[in-house]
Amino acid sequence: MANTFKVKVNGGPELAVDATEGTLLEALEKHQLEMHYHCRSGFCGACRSTLKSGTVRYTTEPLAYVRKGDILPCCCVPESDLDIEH
Amino acid sequence: MSYSTFNQEQNNPLTEPMFLGNSVNVARYDQQKHSIFEKLIEKQISFFWRPEEIDVSRDRIDFNKLTASEKHVFISNLKYQTLLDSIQGRSPNIALLPIVSLPELETWIETWSFFETIHSRSYTHILRNLFSDPSEVFEDIVINEQIKIRANDISKYYDDLIFYTQLLQTHGEGDVVVDGKTHTVTQREIKKKLFLCINSVNALEAIRFYVSFACTFAFAERELMEGNAKIIKLIARDENVHLTSTQHILNLWQYGEDDPEMKEIAEELRDEAYEIFMTAVKQEKQWAHYLFKDGSMIGLNESMLCQYVEYIANLRMQAIGFDAPFENQRSNPLPWMNKYLVSDNVQVAPQESEITSYLVGQIDSEVNASDLGDFDL
Ligand SMILES: [Fe+2]
Ligand SMILES: [Fe+2]
Repeated sequence: MANTFKVKVNGGPELAVDATEGTLLEALEKHQLEMHYHCRSGFCGACRSTLKSGTVRYTTEPLAYVRKGDILPCCCVPESDLDIEH
Repeated sequence: MSYSTFNQEQNNPLTEPMFLGNSVNVARYDQQKHSIFEKLIEKQISFFWRPEEIDVSRDRIDFNKLTASEKHVFISNLKYQTLLDSIQGRSPNIALLPIVSLPELETWIETWSFFETIHSRSYTHILRNLFSDPSEVFEDIVINEQIKIRANDISKYYDDLIFYTQLLQTHGEGDVVVDGKTHTVTQREIKKKLFLCINSVNALEAIRFYVSFACTFAFAERELMEGNAKIIKLIARDENVHLTSTQHILNLWQYGEDDPEMKEIAEELRDEAYEIFMTAVKQEKQWAHYLFKDGSMIGLNESMLCQYVEYIANLRMQAIGFDAPFENQRSNPLPWMNKYLVSDNVQVAPQESEITSYLVGQIDSEVNASDLGDFDL
């Protein structure tokens, strides 16, 4: 389970996310969260979220501007437990 | 001060600001100050499409079945989009190319404008199919009051920047009298006009299309006007790339990653930038009101559209460092919109659109070895 991390969204419960199974966006959708998205491939930035703690790794280089403290869940996976605002 | 199409000054584009430094001389991309713009060029070109590839012929049958109020919605949106792309097909070129200083950004601006011309051509493609003579629709664009209000608000920031750039490039800094009016031209004044202009363009790319997009996709949800929806889906994908570029420009300024004077101006004019966005939001809501003045359409009404504008505005404003202005509109009131805005699903494969040129190719490709009989290869 070395690839599974705990992800907290908007102060909700900790959700298990396997970093080897799709993007963070897909993982959170599987947990039935209503996610904001458009392009799902890193260029539009609609899924932009605030990273309060933890680190992520981009599987596709984001083309949307990633402001300091933000992440784009549609093109990244967790590298640690995360706490995010979406 | 006058613009040169090949600036002979030896300058280092790696130290130039995005705008109002030395004009670009060599179009080179081996070294880049802001490589994001070349990445956007590549992304945009990978999305290349031609309106003629999309078969809109069935839309004519659907269109004739629409109610009068639905026809009003459909045609008014096409008029408004025609206006937006008419402006965008020329203005980034005319306003920004004379003052751009980085080759990768110069080429991005040209690529961006070129794609807007594809959008414009697609509206003619759609309208030609619906009307034997679409000229009445086009002619109304410069008469229709609702469209004129929006046209004025969008073009004024461009026009102001263009005029002052012309003064700077013909007279240099200082007071210039034109038609009895004195204009004080300074580099900083032009930078302010540029900042407001980019904010206005950003708001255009960010939300001004979305009321019409929502109507188009609401028709498509009812399996109506699907050829049109395919085209609008491709346009929406392009607009998202354009939006990313204006968000990059604004954020680079704001974070001081480009011209330090632009960072100051971004702080100084923050409230005006906010107002430009909020005015666009207000106008889009008024547009929703105008669309539904004679009645709603199935699956969509004025208040849902206004909620959607607020929802999108929240996302867009956070992307450039503002707080979400509509706290109570954090969830998406039109969740079905997303499936039309996903980039992965977009296909321009000719087999989907069944165009003649492809079918010819298909027949050719079905020739196989056995058809060649005794031919010895
Ligand atoms: Fe466009
Ligand atoms: Fe655009």
